[in-house]
Amino acid sequence: MSLQFKKIIVAIFAVAFTAAVIIVGIIEKERAKPEKAAVAYADEATKACIRCHDEKHVAVDWSRQWEQSRHAQKGIGCMACHEAKDGDPDLWLHEGYKVATVPSPQDCKSCHEQQFKEFTESHHAKATQFIGSLDNILGEIAEGGPAANLGCKQCHGSTVQIRRTGDPKTDGLPLPGSWPNTGIGRVNPDGSLGTCTACHTRHMFSKQQAREPRTCGRCHMGPDHPQIEIYEESKHGIMFAAWREKMHLDADEWIVGKTYTAAPTCATCHMAATPTMKSTHDVGARISWTLRPLFSKRLENWEEKRQRMKNVCLECHAKTWVDNYFVMFDDAVELWNTKFAKPANDIMEKLKAAGKITPTPFDDPIEWTFYELWHHEGRRARHGASMMGPDFTQWHGFYEVAKHFYTKFLPEAEKLLPGVTSGINELPEHAWRKGLTKEQIQQMLDFYQSRYQQRVQ
Amino acid sequence: MAAPKPIPGWLRFLRERVPVNVEVFEELSKEPIPHHMKNWWYCLGGTPLMLLAIQVLTGILLTFYYRPSPDEAYNSVRMITEEIPFGWWIRSVHHWAANLMVLAVGLHMIRVFFTGAYRKPRELNWMVGVGLLFTTLGFAFTGYALVYDQLSYWAATVGTNVAEHFPLLGPWLAKLLRGGETVNPTTLTRFFLFHVGAMPTLVAILLGLHIFLLRIHGVMELEAPEEVQQTPLTVEEDREGKKRFDPNRFIAFFPDHVTTELLVGMFLLTLLTMLAVVFPAHLGPPANPDETPLHIKPEWYFFPVFRWLKLVPLWLAMTGLTAGGFALLLWPFIDGAIRHRRPGSELGTAIGALAAITLLVFTVWEALATH
Repeated sequence: MSLQFKKIIVAIFAVAFTAAVIIVGIIEKERAKPEKAAVAYADEATKACIRCHDEKHVAVDWSRQWEQSRHAQKGIGCMACHEAKDGDPDLWLHEGYKVATVPSPQDCKSCHEQQFKEFTESHHAKATQFIGSLDNILGEIAEGGPAANLGCKQCHGSTVQIRRTGDPKTDGLPLPGSWPNTGIGRVNPDGSLGTCTACHTRHMFSKQQAREPRTCGRCHMGPDHPQIEIYEESKHGIMFAAWREKMHLDADEWIVGKTYTAAPTCATCHMAATPTMKSTHDVGARISWTLRPLFSKRLENWEEKRQRMKNVCLECHAKTWVDNYFVMFDDAVELWNTKFAKPANDIMEKLKAAGKITPTPFDDPIEWTFYELWHHEGRRARHGASMMGPDFTQWHGFYEVAKHFYTKFLPEAEKLLPGVTSGINELPEHAWRKGLTKEQIQQMLDFYQSRYQQRVQ
Repeated sequence: MAAPKPIPGWLRFLRERVPVNVEVFEELSKEPIPHHMKNWWYCLGGTPLMLLAIQVLTGILLTFYYRPSPDEAYNSVRMITEEIPFGWWIRSVHHWAANLMVLAVGLHMIRVFFTGAYRKPRELNWMVGVGLLFTTLGFAFTGYALVYDQLSYWAATVGTNVAEHFPLLGPWLAKLLRGGETVNPTTLTRFFLFHVGAMPTLVAILLGLHIFLLRIHGVMELEAPEEVQQTPLTVEEDREGKKRFDPNRFIAFFPDHVTTELLVGMFLLTLLTMLAVVFPAHLGPPANPDETPLHIKPEWYFFPVFRWLKLVPLWLAMTGLTAGGFALLLWPFIDGAIRHRRPGSELGTAIGALAAITLLVFTVWEALATH
């Protein structure tokens, strides 16, 4: 390379460097400008909504919450979800705008299609289908409608009713009784199911909040499905409480083993991503048993679902640990099914056949006993076993089941129809009640050992 | 005989007050260097020098605002990055120049190694060069720790823990670095003083020695026979007693090579600024001694060492590293011994190639590894 040529290149680089420094100067000038507002972009309609609500001081905090949301940063304003078209069932003419009063997953779908699809296929979306169940008869009839509106339906979801009386001022507003409601399986005016705000509370719509166990605990608690209490009792919950600042709940991409390792939350096991598995909004995608009904059943494709759950477990536990745990869990569920659910159900069938109880639910005391046996105590035992909560498996679970089965349910049944429980003591699981010899005790212990891999003292 | 050219007034003023022989400077600036240096890529030795100049300049500017205490360090770096005018640029240029420095020193060493430029009489200069390499890595390690974000803090922790396992001197070395049994508030102050005081002094001494030895040996001629290599300055005197050199074998340091260096310098300035604009230096969450990050990874230039530490037991890894360091330092003599026993053997080149490939494979391996 000649000296002359080198000089030309030096000159070219001198120009390039000058240009680069000018770019630096421009960037610096931009940076020096006063800090931009937190709201990256708000369209005219959104600005109008905020201004008017502020001036009239009506529901002002929603806009403050929205301003802190990811939606605000991305310029997703009010009308992205609240815009109604002519003919929409929840169309409300409001201050010159056509406002949809009840945004639904159908609105969220326009940006979050995958989540919509997964959620719609999930058990959550079908939560209002408890209508017609024993629970609903209990809530709506035995207890009364208003109790169900603010009780059962706040979790399960209502069927939202819209006012249509011909008054343009109020037409399109939801009716009391059916709304306010953020139940997970809500039936919306547009026909869609569920509400995303059940977990991603409006108007922040935060991922961080949805990852909090407390969010699930709003509904998954209490005597019949105390998952949040079980979680808090479990090692998982203890770890979460101790190390929550290490959970990075606000991370954009939240992957166990990558973003955090401190503890799993409800979302970790049932929904969130692992290094080898995508996240899902179908909360049942990793659940292999149904633990709610009288008889627990393995769900469709349960092996596949079990594998998915194991995928999460294996992030922290070794294979033997995981496999052994699931054997123990399955045994506990089978124990419930065979030892208590089936004999109790058989007795109830016999009482019905003999006309000792009426077809009307909850009008006979034994129906309450039976209901609590499986719906409260039996579920607690199974849920406790499913989430590694020892006390819920034992004292709040199988202990209560056994106590009420032997000391309440059987005597009540026997009183209604003498002899109806006589077969119970012949079943090997219940044979101990006859009084046992040493050999029989050993035989019993062997039976439990071989069937449930558990020792009975 | 023509009358001598009149000397400008300002020059006369200077000459009267600084009475030195200008011809000596002219002579020095026209240092003959081998013809192959005409190619612009023979500038890898000068590149680290220019990068060092950039580091000194940007480093001084950063020191205006940096506060070396655990309570203030992170915030001062954040302030430099976010609030001080052009702070982000200066910090990013410093960051990128550090990376390029390691790269340039590495490439320079590879060039010197495979052209055999460390051979007699240049063995000592190779050793000084190895000293400069270690100092450069020391600069990089201490500088990275000063940022005091999570990765920076934990890199210092891991680094000093590793240092503790060096044979014999390990515990002493770790204590010297940390100022205690574990990383503590004193550590940051020490790292700062190493970075801006001790290491620059060491570099100045080693660099002075490096250039001094280079000048007295001259640059090795690529194609010349070995005996010429050992007496490289082929300077002849002309009839007027002026020293001349063979233009077919040599070119002048000035302006030929200086222009090449200028070319590289301008390129580096442009490149560094563009890198600073496109990939500005990152600042992670502040250091938290109670929370170990999920995945600790050092900067890329420590990847091979990190991979090696993961591959073999710690004692073996550290013994290996120490042995490797000594082998590198004493390589000219090892190579000499090999060539003495087996003249014409390419064993030295093969060892070098194997080492370079291993370093490369380990680097890529570690870069791709998630754990």
